[in-house]
Amino acid sequence: MKLPTLITPELQRRHSALARIITVVGGLAIIASAYLPWAFGPGALDNMTYLGGPSTVQLLGAALGVPVALGASMAWIEPWLDSRDGLAKRIAAVSKRIAWLRGAKAAATGALVFIAVVVLAIALELGGLVNVEWGGWIALLAALAAFAGTRLMVPGRAPRLHEVKPTGWLEILGIAAMLGIGLLGFAYALNQNDGGTFVAVVVCLTALVIVAMRSGIGGWLSLAGQRNRNVLVFSAFAVAFLFPFTQNGSDANMSIATQVLVFSATAVGLNFVVGLAGLLDLGYIAFLGAGAFTAATMSMSVYATIGWKPPFIVIMLIAGTVSALLGLLIGTPTLRVSGDYLAIVTLAFGEIFRISMSNLDGTDGPDLVHGASGIPGIPNLDFFGFNFGQVHTLFGIPLGRFSNYFFLMLLIMAFIVLVFSRLNYSRIGRGWIAIREDEKAAEAMGVNTFGLKLLAFASGAFLAGFAGAVKAHVDSSATPEQYIFLESAFLLAAVVLGGMGTVMGVIVGATLLKLMPEKLRFLADYRMLLFGLLMVLMMRFRPEGMVPNTRRQLEFHEEDAELAQEVDDELPYEFVEERAR
Amino acid sequence: MQFVDQLLTGLSLGALYALIAVGYTVVYGIVQLINFAHGEIFMIGGFGAMGTWLLIGSATNNLSWWMMPLMLIGGILVAVLTAVLMERVAYRPLRNSPRLAPLITAIGISIFLQEFVRLFYGEIPGFPNAKSAVVMPSIEGFTGQAIDIGGGLLLQRSAIFTLVALAVCWAFLWWFIGRTRLGRGMLATSQDPDTARLMGIDVDRIIMVAFALGAALAAVAGVAHGLRYGSIDFRMGFLAGLKAFTAAVLGGIGNVNGAVVGGLTLGVVEAMASAYIPGQFGGSAWKDVWAFVILILVLVFRPQGLLGAKAVDRA
Repeated sequence: MKLPTLITPELQRRHSALARIITVVGGLAIIASAYLPWAFGPGALDNMTYLGGPSTVQLLGAALGVPVALGASMAWIEPWLDSRDGLAKRIAAVSKRIAWLRGAKAAATGALVFIAVVVLAIALELGGLVNVEWGGWIALLAALAAFAGTRLMVPGRAPRLHEVKPTGWLEILGIAAMLGIGLLGFAYALNQNDGGTFVAVVVCLTALVIVAMRSGIGGWLSLAGQRNRNVLVFSAFAVAFLFPFTQNGSDANMSIATQVLVFSATAVGLNFVVGLAGLLDLGYIAFLGAGAFTAATMSMSVYATIGWKPPFIVIMLIAGTVSALLGLLIGTPTLRVSGDYLAIVTLAFGEIFRISMSNLDGTDGPDLVHGASGIPGIPNLDFFGFNFGQVHTLFGIPLGRFSNYFFLMLLIMAFIVLVFSRLNYSRIGRGWIAIREDEKAAEAMGVNTFGLKLLAFASGAFLAGFAGAVKAHVDSSATPEQYIFLESAFLLAAVVLGGMGTVMGVIVGATLLKLMPEKLRFLADYRMLLFGLLMVLMMRFRPEGMVPNTRRQLEFHEEDAELAQEVDDELPYEFVEERAR
Repeated sequence: MQFVDQLLTGLSLGALYALIAVGYTVVYGIVQLINFAHGEIFMIGGFGAMGTWLLIGSATNNLSWWMMPLMLIGGILVAVLTAVLMERVAYRPLRNSPRLAPLITAIGISIFLQEFVRLFYGEIPGFPNAKSAVVMPSIEGFTGQAIDIGGGLLLQRSAIFTLVALAVCWAFLWWFIGRTRLGRGMLATSQDPDTARLMGIDVDRIIMVAFALGAALAAVAGVAHGLRYGSIDFRMGFLAGLKAFTAAVLGGIGNVNGAVVGGLTLGVVEAMASAYIPGQFGGSAWKDVWAFVILILVLVFRPQGLLGAKAVDRA
């Protein structure tokens, strides 16, 4: 699907030099505009009224201006660097493999969107466009110029950075930088109580990621990540582990972060079923609910209906097992049907679960979970005297209730990610992918399709049950209304929007989906409307998700030769060597 | 007597399901797509009919019987328009993409339409807020005392309306699909879209007609639902849509007669289950559970449905 183009290649060739100048000037003007006042009142976003004193949001705009100016001017800088000796020449050699122009193009688009969002936010928060001061207009004009300039330039070369021979320390440095920026961005975005600032930060971070991807730096980083998988995973968890310490004992953000983790853990579990095995499950929330209710009925709550109170580890295992058994129960008969039918059957199953839970109230069925009111008052966990409800101080930083649960969820998340990545590269995982791609062919190749599908279902359910057991304690209650179809839709959306079959994508998707409703309170009533719209638009324009599995991405764009070339280009260094021979 | 009473209740409920189920089945038969958002079209049909009365009847509080046909037409128009727009904007671009994409789009549309009605219905001047249930007007002749049909049996007027509507729609479908050019084009497309295209049939148009046809019947069902329960609600499409889908599968998806038979069967089974299953698991609280259990059982033991003769590839 291509939009009609105003700009022809012929036009680009004729005006390329002029366009480059416009772009560089535009990029520099974007950077400079950060030092100008954008708004007449300090109330809009963060205070952007000073001349010469840029606010954080303005600096973020400048951060987008840098790749615009640099990317466009590289055509002049590069030959000069190349003519020198020593370090300059080596930098030039690397620079030649970066798709500067593509990066500049993405950055210009990102800057335009970013500044438009900021200008709109100023107008909305201060009441009218008159409150946008001249600096804001200059920034918008500069971004427009840069946008037009990059479109008028002859398209640049494709990135070839991944062909560079790997340097161990540089790669690890790159990963560390990426994670550091990620943590800072997440913590900063989380601390924004102003909706406009939150949107602006998210737009800026997204734009920066796209710039990195387009210029080839992102591809290099992802390859580096693949080569140093253990380093990446460990440092990612280290970063997550450090997160509570950045909150100064405030539990407000930790509560959101814990919910995000519960939600992502469940979504990663769903990813087994949907992303790997390709089985669409619309009733997945029922497994989370089964875990939560199992844990609740055996908890220390005075409303709990089962007298046996085993330690929490045992409860978790039982919760997982109950969910897995439910998965087998629903999977055994229904996995013979596939595709859309399976989706509807699982949806029906989810409804059966919810209605049954509401009915188990003593009048319509045995009194197991007290029906619609559920089981409230679930006390906090207590591990060998470590009470999760109390504030503990570590390294002088107080860690509240949600921080404790955050650490617990992090452990569970680590377990789930470990299982996921081990399975993904195992015989079982490859069997699942084969089933997803073509069930009949997989069966003909000797893959035990029924057994593997059942295993996907049961293991996904088991992990959800695990997460559910913790969720019951985090929420300190379990009610049927927490496990409605909409939650299943949200989970599926996290998997699909984030990128099917990748852990990273699912975590990004889950984080955004949980974070946005918390931060976009000014949209209040329109949240669900936008969510529905987002799902439709995403399927229309980027069905492979935000962080796609490359093979899967190609599946959705079979006719896109350029993308096929890109996927081919991103093959690791070793493969390229191989092919050159 | 209780048996006949339950049978009638079941049949009228089933007729409602059948009217919606036709929409699933017609679209599935032609594009092999489960139009998950069809339940929302049903809901919008109900709101469209309601809106028609609000526009032309509410000012004078006109409750005469001839308001009903106008409401039906209004509801059908709104529902058809929504369905055609939805097909054109959301589904058509995805026609050749993996099957997951349209299904997720459908969930998105479903949420979008519900929210759209919830947020904006009350914004139209003179319209009530749709954030909670909206009470349907008591149209003369269509609401009121149940009718004694002899033998001590009472039949609600809404039940008669639903059954008659189903009969009329079924006859219309029989005529439309078997006797008109467009209908035969639909048959041909459902058998083999590529050959149909070669024969000069405009497949895009046929698909649009299929969506419109389903939407029209769903709108009738929306009105029937409003009469039956006295009010309409922006959430009503979800459960009704799911039940109707069950009915379509029960009858054999892709088969129009199957949808009708499946709908009636499901309604009767539901009514009987709440009346005759003894103990705590009987009663109306569990009837939805039994309906979904039937869906699962049918898919396992007879995936082609009651009337589906040909072996369907269930992939």
